[in-house]
Amino acid sequence: MILGIWAGKLTQLLLRLLKRRGTSLPGLVALKVAPHLLRTLGKQLESCILVTGTNGKTTTVSLLREILRHDPEHIWISNAEGANMTQGITACFLQACNVFGRLKAKHAVLEVDEATMPQVVPYLPVTHVVITNVFRDQLDRYGEVDGTIQKLIQALQDASVHLIANGDDPLVHYVAMQTNCRTSYYAMEAHSRILKQHQQIRDGAFCLYCGHELEYEYFHYGQMGLYRCPHCDFAAPVPMFRGMPQQEGLEIRTDEQEFLLRTHIRGLYNKYNVLAAASAALLQEIGAEGIQKGISAYQPMQGRMQIFTGTPLRILNLIKNPTGCNSVLQTIDEDPGRKTVCVAINDYDADGRDVSWLWDSDFETYAPGLQAKRFICSGTRAGDMAVRLKYAGIDPALITVEPNLKSAHDLAIQDTNLPAYFMTTYTALFPMQQIIEEGLKHDEKTPHRALIS
Amino acid sequence: MTRKLRIAHLFPDLLNLYADRGNILALANRAKWRNIDVQVTPIRLGESFSILEHDIVLLGGGSDREQAIIGRELKQYVPEFQQALENGMPILGICGGYQLLGKYYAAPTGEKIPGLGILEMATESGTTRLIGNVVIEDPKTGQTIVGFENHSGRTYHSYDPLGIVKVGHGNNGEDQREGVRCHNLIGTYIHGPLLPKNPYLTDEILSLALAYRGLDGELEPLPDDLEHLAHRTMVERLLQGSRSG
Repeated sequence: MILGIWAGKLTQLLLRLLKRRGTSLPGLVALKVAPHLLRTLGKQLESCILVTGTNGKTTTVSLLREILRHDPEHIWISNAEGANMTQGITACFLQACNVFGRLKAKHAVLEVDEATMPQVVPYLPVTHVVITNVFRDQLDRYGEVDGTIQKLIQALQDASVHLIANGDDPLVHYVAMQTNCRTSYYAMEAHSRILKQHQQIRDGAFCLYCGHELEYEYFHYGQMGLYRCPHCDFAAPVPMFRGMPQQEGLEIRTDEQEFLLRTHIRGLYNKYNVLAAASAALLQEIGAEGIQKGISAYQPMQGRMQIFTGTPLRILNLIKNPTGCNSVLQTIDEDPGRKTVCVAINDYDADGRDVSWLWDSDFETYAPGLQAKRFICSGTRAGDMAVRLKYAGIDPALITVEPNLKSAHDLAIQDTNLPAYFMTTYTALFPMQQIIEEGLKHDEKTPHRALIS
Repeated sequence: MTRKLRIAHLFPDLLNLYADRGNILALANRAKWRNIDVQVTPIRLGESFSILEHDIVLLGGGSDREQAIIGRELKQYVPEFQQALENGMPILGICGGYQLLGKYYAAPTGEKIPGLGILEMATESGTTRLIGNVVIEDPKTGQTIVGFENHSGRTYHSYDPLGIVKVGHGNNGEDQREGVRCHNLIGTYIHGPLLPKNPYLTDEILSLALAYRGLDGELEPLPDDLEHLAHRTMVERLLQGSRSG
């Protein structure tokens, strides 16, 4: 085991010397040398909260980590950088232990990829599992959405785990019902912007028990809403934690208390993350004040509407599946002015080799109204992206194909009067971030001529 | 005379596992750009409809569970389907929708999900999924078709294939054949956005549909630079990849 730790730590050191980001490689190396490393290190923990689901894992874990950090009695290990498969989780433990394999903390809050859950849960003292939602995502890796559901059910057979589940999502509700776990649901209440009906792809539109189409009183987004099966008794559960989106944040309601969490986090999908984190924190007996402190300390993650101040303003977003992409488009749409939009789509393993999800994303609803002066398509699948925009109704004259990320970036910031929105898949995110940062450094050295005169 | 086409999109709620909407968008846009009136009718589960009142039928991909539901629902339409096929209606079956056109699909659970039996074709389940980028070549025209496949079923038939596999697995990973062509029916494992990046195939379907309706099937060319760029990029990358590795 010690050898595995050394191998992993050495890899970490090497990566740092090479100034490379490595959130998974040290874990991979360590597991090659010591295959049971995660199990051995996991034994030292007293408790562990896991967050799984398709969208919102990273944000929910980061929020939760900030909330838990305010209790100085407990130090929490967390993989807040989003490396959520076995190697990444091992790498995060490696970072938290000394050269003799002693963990510095007794508690962990981790995001875990849905498909990785069965390989991780048995080796950690899991007390709580948050399930955010289940959407189609990277089908080439996971197979169908049913496969994801089965993986989650398989992982959650230990009755001592307490589930904190999104009650608005029929697929999550089904998973919870198929386990023996005690479950506390959270849900959004009907608010002014709910949809009575909509055309968005719904992954869970049909009852998983009897196959009948679910009836909805209203939708929040995707398959999220107040549903019931007209044929059997499957229906949205009674939530323990309720959220009410407000202009200045999110109001949390339980039978015992009501309080407003002030937050600048934008988008309904992000308010679900706040609700999930607050629900988990309330179950840890953290009060409203503690939760508020954590939420206020939270910094949006890389690529989650990450703003780079400069001329022009640059905003970076990760997109990787239809629902996430729609949410980003919706948020960009909330910016009323003209803008440049640069979409970089790669198809490496970490992105998902299949880019057909681009056709499930609702570019026709959002793209024509974005007021983009220009769309720049980049990445290994720049051509696919360009075709997608054309068939969404964008004038081909506004579309530029530039596979090279640096050149695409330079084109996107050419128009200094217009904010540049970057949307990238996973493997293009960090390179694009670096390109943006280097560009800004360069700007500092050579001030804009207009500023001098 | 205004040309008009009616497309039936069967069960978009259920059979839309891999962005089949892309295929509808390609057909509808390319018709619209030529001033052909298009009417896309999504057919939902439980709604009664007549296949013969349409000019193109699209069956998308679904999960095994969803496929079984559809199989039961469509049984009553088999004679109409058969007639439409023989009359030369363009029918497009993708992935699960392709399997459904055959006699049965043996699911990994051992359960035999009956298909519509419109084609003499059967699908056995394999132990591994056949996943990845695909390039096939139409043996008659030499035209390439590019896309992505993801299926565990192995399909066997003795009709003409849609194309010969250059890169990828195809129908069963054994005989280098992908998809099926029978009358004007096309079935394929190349899922979701098959048509946008293969505009010549889209136009062929549109042209056949116009002819099926008794209209002029001639289509004026469109500026397809972006489509060709996307197509060519993938073909070059994949053919190069397969040669070097």
